[in-house]
Amino acid sequence: MNEPKKLIDTPSQTAGPFLHIGCTPRITGINIFKSELGLIPFQDISDNEAINIKGKIYDGNNEPIIDAMIETWQCDVNGNYSSNQGFARIVTDLKTGEYQLKTIRPGNKINTDGSLSASYITFWIVARGMNRPLITRMYFLENDLKNDLVLNNIKIEDRLNTLIPYTEDKKNFIFNIYLQGKKETIFFEF
Amino acid sequence: MIKKHQPLRKFHDYKSSISRSPNKEPLWINSSSSEMSGPLFSEKIINKNDNDLTLNFSKIGEKPLGQEIFVHGFVKDENGNNLKNVLIEIWQANAGGKYRHQNDPSNIKLDENFGGCGRFITSSDGYYIFKTIEPGAYPYPNRGTEWRPRHIHFSLFGSMFLQRLITQMYFEGDPLIKSCPMVNSIPDINARKLLIGRLDLSKTENEKILGYRFDIVLRGKEQTFFENKREGL
Ligand SMILES: [Fe+2]
Repeated sequence: MNEPKKLIDTPSQTAGPFLHIGCTPRITGINIFKSELGLIPFQDISDNEAINIKGKIYDGNNEPIIDAMIETWQCDVNGNYSSNQGFARIVTDLKTGEYQLKTIRPGNKINTDGSLSASYITFWIVARGMNRPLITRMYFLENDLKNDLVLNNIKIEDRLNTLIPYTEDKKNFIFNIYLQGKKETIFFEF
Repeated sequence: MIKKHQPLRKFHDYKSSISRSPNKEPLWINSSSSEMSGPLFSEKIINKNDNDLTLNFSKIGEKPLGQEIFVHGFVKDENGNNLKNVLIEIWQANAGGKYRHQNDPSNIKLDENFGGCGRFITSSDGYYIFKTIEPGAYPYPNRGTEWRPRHIHFSLFGSMFLQRLITQMYFEGDPLIKSCPMVNSIPDINARKLLIGRLDLSKTENEKILGYRFDIVLRGKEQTFFENKREGL
């Protein structure tokens, strides 16, 4: 018997510099849709549980990218993913390149094998010049990160710190993303 | 398995891809619950005319300039199953090749009756349809000034983040496609053709709106390797 023939998935193309028109139209002055997507990842985030993440995405010339869109995806405080929350869509500032996200810290849950799931936020990034999206993760604890990658038999330690944000108070985080250079961020493929 | 149907991140002919792609190899890992889940969008976020770009921004009784077209098709998974509840967002330039965007440097006039964006959620049989106008080609800086083939940007959410896709639809017969570095960043020449909307004469209305057919396939759970090796293994 023949294996059923699989269809080839449609190739990706760059979102281009004007992605805001379709993805965050209000920034371009187009106000025709009911709402913008992913304005807040969770309803009613209390001041107590809120965390703030900000940063810039630097290109190979060490310039911040001003026309990127980031979509973040994360679980809730109990470590569960749900199709009606946990998604945010943010863009880098058209002048400074800075992005900002207010969210909650994702929780851990016990996996079927008894281990504890890692706490991280997925960053899915598109911009002019990116033929395909770049995917990375912001982990909160180095241990989480190590356990997660051990599961995947990963043996690269020297760049793991690119996936950990800077924080002084565990409430405000700076997570810069570097496309190239000494601090080049780890990007994932699945 | 090595697949050549997705574009290279770094493609010399597309200049801005050089500084905007990583130099190091990506890290291949198994998908986990974060990749195999994703947001689901309800019909409630959609207005009736969101998929009609000739109406959704224009003044009452007026229309944007340009050739009116339908762009329609099915969204499928790699097994050929039609995918329902897929949110599609599109955006494009006006008939003169001008985007309604503060950073578009061109001197071409905006069309006061054209915003350039639309939304639709696929029906139970995976079908979608937009009514719009044919976008113009436009120049952009690359290796000197080059021209983009006429295109519509597409963004799609499948049922899991792994299926998230942003792409572009080109128009059958456009002579600019052949020299476009973004198209040519796809190594597999046959896969480039998957981005071309085909003239569809069966889809016309009152013999004044041309139809284009553009089917889209979202990937499955299996890994698709772009390189020869998996880093770190
Ligand atoms: Fe474009």
